[in-house]
Amino acid sequence: MNFIINREELLTPLQQIVSVIEKRQTMPILSNVLMVIEDNRLILTGTDLEIQIVAKIDIGTATSGSITVPARKFLDICRLLPSGAEIKFEQEDDVARDGAKVKILSNRSRFSLSCLPADNYPEFAESEFEHQFFINAGKFKRALEKTIFCMANQDVRYYLNGLLLHISNSKLKLVASDGHRLSIYEDQLDQATGYEARIILPRKGVLELSRLLDDPDAELRVEFSGNNIRIFIKNLVFSAKLVDSKYPDFSKVFQQAFFNQIHIQKQQLKEALTRVAILSNEKFKGVTLDISSGSLRISTHNPEHDEAEEELFIEYAGEPLSIAFNAQYLLDAVSNLDSELAVLTIASNASTCFIDEPNDSSYKFIVMPMRL
Amino acid sequence: MDDIRKIIHIDMDAFFAAIEQRDFPQYRNKPLIVGGAPDSRGVVATCSYEARQYGIHSAMPSSQAYRLCPQAIFVKPRFDAYRQASQTIRKIFTDYTERVEPLSLDEAYLDVSDVQLHQGSATLIAKAVKATIKRETGLVASAGISYNKFLAKIASDMDKPDGLYVITPERGACFAGQLSIDKFHGIGRATARKMQALGIQTGKDLRKLSLALLQQHFGKSGHHYYNICRGIDHRPVNSQRTSKSVGVETTFQQDIKARPEVMAQLHSLLEKALEKAAEKRLAAYTLTVKIKYHDFVQITRSRTLPHAVTATTGTFAILEDLLRNTDIGTRKVRLLGITLSSLENQSRLTHFQQMDLFN
Repeated sequence: MNFIINREELLTPLQQIVSVIEKRQTMPILSNVLMVIEDNRLILTGTDLEIQIVAKIDIGTATSGSITVPARKFLDICRLLPSGAEIKFEQEDDVARDGAKVKILSNRSRFSLSCLPADNYPEFAESEFEHQFFINAGKFKRALEKTIFCMANQDVRYYLNGLLLHISNSKLKLVASDGHRLSIYEDQLDQATGYEARIILPRKGVLELSRLLDDPDAELRVEFSGNNIRIFIKNLVFSAKLVDSKYPDFSKVFQQAFFNQIHIQKQQLKEALTRVAILSNEKFKGVTLDISSGSLRISTHNPEHDEAEEELFIEYAGEPLSIAFNAQYLLDAVSNLDSELAVLTIASNASTCFIDEPNDSSYKFIVMPMRL
Repeated sequence: MDDIRKIIHIDMDAFFAAIEQRDFPQYRNKPLIVGGAPDSRGVVATCSYEARQYGIHSAMPSSQAYRLCPQAIFVKPRFDAYRQASQTIRKIFTDYTERVEPLSLDEAYLDVSDVQLHQGSATLIAKAVKATIKRETGLVASAGISYNKFLAKIASDMDKPDGLYVITPERGACFAGQLSIDKFHGIGRATARKMQALGIQTGKDLRKLSLALLQQHFGKSGHHYYNICRGIDHRPVNSQRTSKSVGVETTFQQDIKARPEVMAQLHSLLEKALEKAAEKRLAAYTLTVKIKYHDFVQITRSRTLPHAVTATTGTFAILEDLLRNTDIGTRKVRLLGITLSSLENQSRLTHFQQMDLFN
């Protein structure tokens, strides 16, 4: 296998692929990137067996073949060559001597890398894809950004360590939650799908995927079955195994009585929360909200007996109430609003708080309170 | 330092074996091994002094012990009996002082600095403690007496069995200097090897290294090493010591290999570890899996979770994940263990309670 490629064509796809490759591996070949030349195209593949990224690059001069090379070393070499450099890749024929080697030549730099034969590269098992839909990358990325920060990380309830993707004909809904807060984002697809499906994308896959959506104009084709998802992003194919579980039902939180809505200037609320949180308990970040007609008092104290308090003018007419939250959860939710005003709707038994925009917005946050 | 402390380290002699010989006269004056059976993969927990003459020591595989001394008597441990004896002994300690720090069933530090009995003589108090233990349990203890924990522990080992050894403040530094570093309590096998590679054989050699150099090589422990080789140890006798970790492990009669079997074993070990933690009213944030392959190569995989683990529900995925970068399923496994750490008192958790959407 031999080819010549410009550094700029290779670098970005290689970086995207190396990102999924785990640093610690028991299977040495998984630290490698699979390189195949086929019909004057270079096909790069990286996987951790849960996620896989394949990149296809058109290439001028090439002889076909396949090999796997240490991904990080190869990336570092390409990364540190001068920009615009021409990179020549040569597979050495004399494999009998001390295993397979590839030569990487560029201008006056020469590298010889040990590699492993492509035959042993594990196949990423995928079942047949039953469903598909199309979505604009910018739209999808926005939906991800509004939700993924709520995903759990290493929760024992493993189905929370992921993102629920719910398609209902032409409606797209993403949900993420770590149990303490939940984010729902809804949008319309341009084409009706004619089916209803719910799948859970694994956390790492979602984080990798959002990194691949840097071109907002790209059109994505998404295919999935009960076990796998595959997304075509320009010259990339992203695949992931799905979380094999049902997402928990949270519809009950909507079916309860609520206090009147509270309207607060978003910027003021953010600033006040940030300041008060300085003196909250470091681990739990608890702050108390005392709400009465026209006024919101945010206060906290910590084990060192430091205290902080701020008062804000708000639009609220109703019974006074007190409720406590992790300040960080409130801040995360409020920061994701696009409107000037934040609308808080608190359940009348103070068990749940909804945060959204004044006009029926496409997304909603739920923050669960703390008992102090 | 104006106040010189008086610390006694009490170490029971061949504790498990001594209890067996006390309860079963037929074992007396014979090489006795408490631990795994000779044809099993168990190890020697304790052996009698008669067995030690054959070169048998604790933690040695029982099969090897059998080869060294085929006529030895092998018995299974009776932990209930040992715990009971241990409780009796601890009660004796508290008759002398409240400042008792048990290290295990058969070992404890006593701080007798403020004890007025026996004219405040630590040596006489240690003698009295030993005599009371002998009278009430029929068991023999060794005592080490010094002005800190490090030296008291070394002293108890000097004159075993039935020992009584004093390291006075004048002799402390000299004593630590002469000691071979692999005999330093608190310097494990790996650290000792590292020190030997640096040309350090004794406490005296260790003293030649500057504090900065020790800290550079050994991190946080560097300062402790710097002190102990000079016979200095300010650690108090801590009667309120809380566990840092809770663990259980098991060696299989026969190696296991299949992934589902490993998972099932880990699951039941985790259940036991959680029970132990719950008994102490502790909640754990870190979960560690220990795997010893058939060829004795040992690895650990651990994960710290954002929430305390209190039940096995839902831990399946975490265990699965911990096994991801291991050879489970392809390489035979001899031993599995689960350790819970980053412990926190359960009562503290209820102070600030974050409500959960799904619970």
